Amino acid sequence: MKHHIGKSLAATIVLASATLALGISVASADDIVIGASLPLSGPLAGFGSFQQWGYKRAVDEINKAGGIAINGTKQQIKLIIRDDKTDPNATASNTETLISRDRVVAMLGSCTPALVNAGALVSERAKKPMVTGCDPLEAFKSVRKWNYVWDLFFHEPELGAAQFKAMADLGAKTNKKLAIWHDNGPDGQVVGGKIWPALAKEFGYEVVQNAEFPIDNSQFTSIIGEAKSKGAEVVLVDAITPQAIAIRKQMASAGYSPKVLNIEKGAEPVQFAEALGKLSDGILVGGYWDPTFPYPGAADLAKAFESETKLTSSQHIADSYAAAQILLDAITAAGSTDPEKINTAIAKTDKSYVVGPVKFDENHTAKLPIVSLQWQGGKTAIVWPKAAQTGNFMFPLP
Amino acid sequence: MSEAVASCPRSGYAPARGLVEVAALVGALAALWFAPDFAGDYWLQLGFRTCVYLALAQGWNLMAGSAGLVSLGTSCFVGLGAYVAFGVLNHLGTPLPLVLLICAITGGALAALVSPALFRLRGLYFTVGTLALAELLRLLMVNVSAFGGATGIFLQEDPPALPVLFRYALVVAFVASLAITLCARTRASVIFRAVRDDEDAAAQMGVRPYRVKLGAFVLASALAAMAGGIQAVKLGVIEPYGMFGLQWSIDVLSMVIIGGVGLRLGPLVGALLVVALGEALADYPEAHIAIAGVILIVLIRFAPHGVVGLAAKLPLTRRVPA
Amino acid sequence: MPDIGVISSTIVAGVLLGGILALTALGLSIVLGVMRLVNLAHGDFLVVGAYAGLFFLQFTGIDPLLGVPVVAVFVGVLALPVYRLLLAPLADRGAEARMMTMFAVSIILENAFVLAFSADTRSIARDYATVALSLGPVTFPLIYLIGFVISVSLILTVHWLVSATAFGRDLRASAVDAEAAATLGVDVKRVQMLTFSLGAACAGVGGTLIGAAFQFGPSSGGAYLLNRLAVVVLGGLGSVIGTLAGGIALGALQSIGGLTLGDGYRDLVGMALFLLVLAFRPDGFLARGRT
Repeated sequence: MKHHIGKSLAATIVLASATLALGISVASADDIVIGASLPLSGPLAGFGSFQQWGYKRAVDEINKAGGIAINGTKQQIKLIIRDDKTDPNATASNTETLISRDRVVAMLGSCTPALVNAGALVSERAKKPMVTGCDPLEAFKSVRKWNYVWDLFFHEPELGAAQFKAMADLGAKTNKKLAIWHDNGPDGQVVGGKIWPALAKEFGYEVVQNAEFPIDNSQFTSIIGEAKSKGAEVVLVDAITPQAIAIRKQMASAGYSPKVLNIEKGAEPVQFAEALGKLSDGILVGGYWDPTFPYPGAADLAKAFESETKLTSSQHIADSYAAAQILLDAITAAGSTDPEKINTAIAKTDKSYVVGPVKFDENHTAKLPIVSLQWQGGKTAIVWPKAAQTGNFMFPLP
Repeated sequence: MSEAVASCPRSGYAPARGLVEVAALVGALAALWFAPDFAGDYWLQLGFRTCVYLALAQGWNLMAGSAGLVSLGTSCFVGLGAYVAFGVLNHLGTPLPLVLLICAITGGALAALVSPALFRLRGLYFTVGTLALAELLRLLMVNVSAFGGATGIFLQEDPPALPVLFRYALVVAFVASLAITLCARTRASVIFRAVRDDEDAAAQMGVRPYRVKLGAFVLASALAAMAGGIQAVKLGVIEPYGMFGLQWSIDVLSMVIIGGVGLRLGPLVGALLVVALGEALADYPEAHIAIAGVILIVLIRFAPHGVVGLAAKLPLTRRVPA
Repeated sequence: MPDIGVISSTIVAGVLLGGILALTALGLSIVLGVMRLVNLAHGDFLVVGAYAGLFFLQFTGIDPLLGVPVVAVFVGVLALPVYRLLLAPLADRGAEARMMTMFAVSIILENAFVLAFSADTRSIARDYATVALSLGPVTFPLIYLIGFVISVSLILTVHWLVSATAFGRDLRASAVDAEAAATLGVDVKRVQMLTFSLGAACAGVGGTLIGAAFQFGPSSGGAYLLNRLAVVVLGGLGSVIGTLAGGIALGALQSIGGLTLGDGYRDLVGMALFLLVLAFRPDGFLARGRT
């Protein structure tokens, strides 16, 4: 019996130590270590891979140029990325490990509020600066008053207003009856639950339906049926991609064709158009970045991504690339690996990146401007603001 | 399940050994209590995770190894503990020890509430039933916006510092291990095994299987809720997919299988190894989680009694031929 | 109060959808009944079928619904080594061992999907998949009807297989009492293997239908699993016709639930029903003893 216990514990300790030892990464003493926990598997794996590319590219560029000068000597950046499997518990524990074991000087964020929050709270408590994208600003602000975490992304009210403004500027003639369908995630509730109804009033639309559904809902027959029976010619949706695809397909199956269909979040990636084929034509979606934007390096970034990965580019490569650059610029400006100094330097950011001019306000947020994109033949065209148009506005929905 | 009995050394009712084990537990608690003074943050974090997992695994092991109840519903109680903890902390500001106690009571109460229905189900049906229960609760939390829906809720106050949280987790793990030791070393263990091996026969001998199963289920659920509570406090933000997600139930199952189902040391060994494995996998995202699947399959196939079972077979000490 | 057209459309759509649901649950049901195994990778078998249908279309240009037999054989054959290598050796172990093995298979499958096909959400885009059919006041998606017809045909075929053939007799014997069946000369391992394969084949076809009617991705498997479990429990473990009835009942009830409470509550209705049936009639609401 005693042998039994002793052997078991011995075996365990050996096995456990061996597995843990695998992880003690050998970082040269001269490296500046930064970390990120990303969803590289699980439902958000798509986002994770874009972010990974963006973060890595920014770090590789600086390293190729010689690194960052700390107290006079140039040091290389080591970026450690861990997979959080789309589980906030894992994001938190990954961030902890990165900070306490790998001794990162700063963090880059995960994606979507649930994951970003989990990691950001750890970073905040450990007083390590974190720059993140992929987290809508109101959702970010609603958690707490941040001291060490910085977010650049779109602002939900602007996103909400974009399509109203677009419809007005482009002269879309409808019966002004509006159906709102939104998921019950953080930005779904904010945009669909509050912003859109308020703006509807302002722009003179009648909200005939406001339906909420769980993020991973699969059937929308009742929601669609109700909107169809109430004759809504404008439908605004806020859902993620699988649901967006389901909604569009089920609308077609139900024979419901409004004049204007806007699907936020879900209709943005190219997989949306690939999965739907012709059905994706005419669908509007707000975008916070496009390779045609007149910002430094925008077009090149998309080209580099497409040639390296042979995939179609996504706006998520841009905010991650910019976030990493902002952090690296701050470390350069601080000239030190002291977290406090880096944090202060991030606060002073005021520069144009691939996503546009970035300057953080007192809430640690930086707004990315929104344009209205429309799917046309498997590609997105900017249809609003008119000054940035790259294609004609398709109206009504084909 | 009977193999565990056959190959497991004759453990069971042994009050003297029980006292020794309790003493060992107390000793471990006392020693580790001072760990924050020596160990770095990283080890405390690993220790925290191990303690939370240990509490879950001990409870599960009791249910399955002792009472024959294979549960896939751990996530239900973990999530319940998490939300209760936040609710109480945000609205009432109660001190943390009391909060954890409330979590335990709530967990046990829910278990007691659903047991009349669940225990009508035997074997496989019970497992499926626990899965349904966990999913039902998750769907409820996602749909009802009073609990924050998919956005979840935030802890309004900052949680205590890591050393403090570590100690809480240590106490939770201690309580779990103590409870299991008491079950295993007192008369209760005989009763548990009787119910596990043949419920009907046990009933004829005067044992009340229903009560025994209820006891195991309530205890395991209370422990799971406590673990969920402390985990939530450390996270600072919770939402249904993270706290009610199936990964909790699966993780516990992994732990117990890796450690060894029904074996006394199984939960500890399993918890330690699963935490270590989790760390290793996160460090090598290129290796992909598929490796975890392969490891599980290999272990299940070639180590039916987990690492503890494997270790027992290792000829580290030689018998002197008589 | 929605009008009669909406209500009847909802119920009809629910029934049709229920037929498809039943097919996707059939594999789970027979495996549960014969092998006493909760196949935690069942949802992922559905996704395998969906990808198979998608690529069948892409590579051959033939409509996936016509390719259904190919998908069935493909997924069924894939399941054979899974049984032989992973499950057969564990036959005498407790429930957790095989359950966890299938869960491990699920992890491997989901990650294999991401590696091979990327994490993108997919859909089998066919014109007939997004057309509405109107019969009087009742409107429903055409694909539901097509799916229903295919599903019911396949289910009835399996039912015939189970009730009228020698294999079916062996299957039923193994389900009732594997040890007794073995002493009577039934090759239980072979029966189990073929059952597992048959279950996977049905899942594959169901997956293709789902891929055409809805959408799927590498991690869709988990969500499918729970709903299918509800169907199985409603209809009775191992009962083929029971599963069909259970699927239709669940489909209809979920649709009514979605109409009255909101689409988000469909799954909740399903789970609540599931638990109720488990609590009061664990052998299945529609079971009248073993098939």
